[in-house]
Amino acid sequence: MKSAPTISSAFLEPAGNFLPGPLLELRKQRGTALVNMPLPTRKTENWKYSSRHLKLSDELAVTLPSSGKEGTSLSLPGYRVVFRNGVMVPEASDFPDLNGIRIQRFSDLSDEDASALAERLDNTLDSNAVQMARVNSARFEDGLFIQLDKEAVLDQPLFIIHEVTASSVGSAYPRIYVDAARHSQMTLVEEYISSGDEPVMVNAVTEFVLAEGAQVTGVRLTLEGESVQHIGATGVRQAATSRFEHHTVGFGGPLRRHDLQVRLEGEGAECKLNGVVVTQGKQHYDNHTSIEHVAAHCDSEETYRNIAADQSHAIFNGRIHIHQDAQKSNANMNNKNLLLSTGAEIDTKPELEIYADDVKCAHGATIGQLDKNSLFYLVSRGIDRREANTLLTMAFINELVEQIPVEAVREAVQLRLNDFFNQTFQEA
Amino acid sequence: MLSIKNLHASVGGEEILKGINLEIKAGEVHAIMGPNGSGKSTLSQVLAGSETFQVTEGEVTLNGENLLELETEERAREGVFLAFQYPVEIPGVSNLQFLRTAVNAMRKHRGESEMNAAEFMKHAKEVSKQVDLDPAFLKRGVNEGFSGGEKKRNEILQALLLQPKLAILDETDSGLDIDALHVVSDGVNALRAEDRAILMVTHYQRLLNHIVPDYVHVLAGGKIVKSGGRELAHELEERGYGWLGVKDEEATASSTAS
Repeated sequence: MKSAPTISSAFLEPAGNFLPGPLLELRKQRGTALVNMPLPTRKTENWKYSSRHLKLSDELAVTLPSSGKEGTSLSLPGYRVVFRNGVMVPEASDFPDLNGIRIQRFSDLSDEDASALAERLDNTLDSNAVQMARVNSARFEDGLFIQLDKEAVLDQPLFIIHEVTASSVGSAYPRIYVDAARHSQMTLVEEYISSGDEPVMVNAVTEFVLAEGAQVTGVRLTLEGESVQHIGATGVRQAATSRFEHHTVGFGGPLRRHDLQVRLEGEGAECKLNGVVVTQGKQHYDNHTSIEHVAAHCDSEETYRNIAADQSHAIFNGRIHIHQDAQKSNANMNNKNLLLSTGAEIDTKPELEIYADDVKCAHGATIGQLDKNSLFYLVSRGIDRREANTLLTMAFINELVEQIPVEAVREAVQLRLNDFFNQTFQEA
Repeated sequence: MLSIKNLHASVGGEEILKGINLEIKAGEVHAIMGPNGSGKSTLSQVLAGSETFQVTEGEVTLNGENLLELETEERAREGVFLAFQYPVEIPGVSNLQFLRTAVNAMRKHRGESEMNAAEFMKHAKEVSKQVDLDPAFLKRGVNEGFSGGEKKRNEILQALLLQPKLAILDETDSGLDIDALHVVSDGVNALRAEDRAILMVTHYQRLLNHIVPDYVHVLAGGKIVKSGGRELAHELEERGYGWLGVKDEEATASSTAS
């Protein structure tokens, strides 16, 4: 018998105290506020399709050890920072000391800087809508603070590799905070990977604050294995004329949840959010996005595509909120979904709250299957059925994958997706 | 090469082909004409292996081998090629990728080595010239944004690349202007070979002025009601289908105006 579903106190106990005082203090406050936090159930609207995939146990609450100094030998076309179980591994990281660009782990911050950061953490997220991110704030052991000065341009993409080592049961809490000053620019690639097969949970929070005219591109790849439950949240606040672009590529797992919240707070701000999600077997993936047009004259463009095979389950919930004074808002949201088998399920829900009267807001959602005529055309040329299915399925998402601005990532993703579908169609 | 005996096929319970008999030898060019609704396209699709139609009776062999038992992709590899009447558009799959995958599947089946990207690109560009297609189309999606004429030329391009044993052209001339008609006809004539058979399904006679057939058959009401040499096509052009005792749903006596 389950007791009333509130969060176990085991989840509120951080392990280390390596953070500077102000952050330790913040963490403690967040933890206290979480006591008796109700856990999402299927009656909780924003978790209604996913609560059944969420498996919390006290064993999972244990902080995973941040062991090992050995580097992950990746050759990446850019700078990199490696995190293992939420804690930075300096020996495996390689990033420059550039003028106007600060890349610093939380545990190295001065008390003064930490105090300033503590004032700002969590400000990009609506904690009521993103409940599980609150747990990260009570448990993060380390984090990465990226600060770009006015007009600073990071000349190469910054890769952040978040590796969770599932050699014992437990959880990790990666945390990133990006502060982009006026007219600064950068591209950030987050890769979530895993090794090992013990059940673990990753609860990650990434925040971006863009000042006027700043341009930031984020790429987020969820690539963890079958024993990892992954809950992520990305919060973004944009000032006037800033531009935020986000590309997420997600491979399914036992639980995959990402909340993406963007607030367009200054006139002329723009955001472009792309998402590609693929699930097979009994996998799950839930994307909840929320775009707030707070200021007038802002543009948002959102395109998400889900492909669900076998008995897998994908969810997309896209919320757009246009505030009363946000006249001349231009919002476009499009979610296309492909079901590859009768046992797969895709739930899609657009949520539009429009309170201004001079706006353009278009949304579309479709769910379909592979076109039989297209398939016949391909096999009539002697193409193997499995390969034909893979080609058509890739076609469904190619357009989005091609927009990923980092070539190496794009190519790696294409290969990985190809393998994924080749495998899916093996028994077809 | 191709032997069709008493072929019956239906769709949704309705019988379209009511006992087709046809023999085509290697090196021959046959034309099948007939009024709309006679079953011409159905015959093409059934030969290619479309799952839309159910074969209820009869047999089809290709070089002695039972064709009906093979899946569409197997038939293609055995050398059956269908130039579609309405080629489908597939945005997201580039023409290059599609063509190369098809050609390599064929080569693999024949025990030949596969072509790499560079080799194939060169080969495809050359053959594109033969059908007057700007090689830039290779980067676009399959048939994406193509005019009717371009789509038909792309079908012929595929035939030229795949070098089939049996090329079935389903109303390849429909919707073509004079220039495109010439290009397509030249392409088809370039396919003529001693070890190849060509079956053209056509509604209008004019294509047969450019691709002169050895034999002409009239398909009406699901059966072949008359067969003859190339002169039969002229006779049909002048007299229509009525003299055969065949009901036509649309005036076909006049040759196409365009």
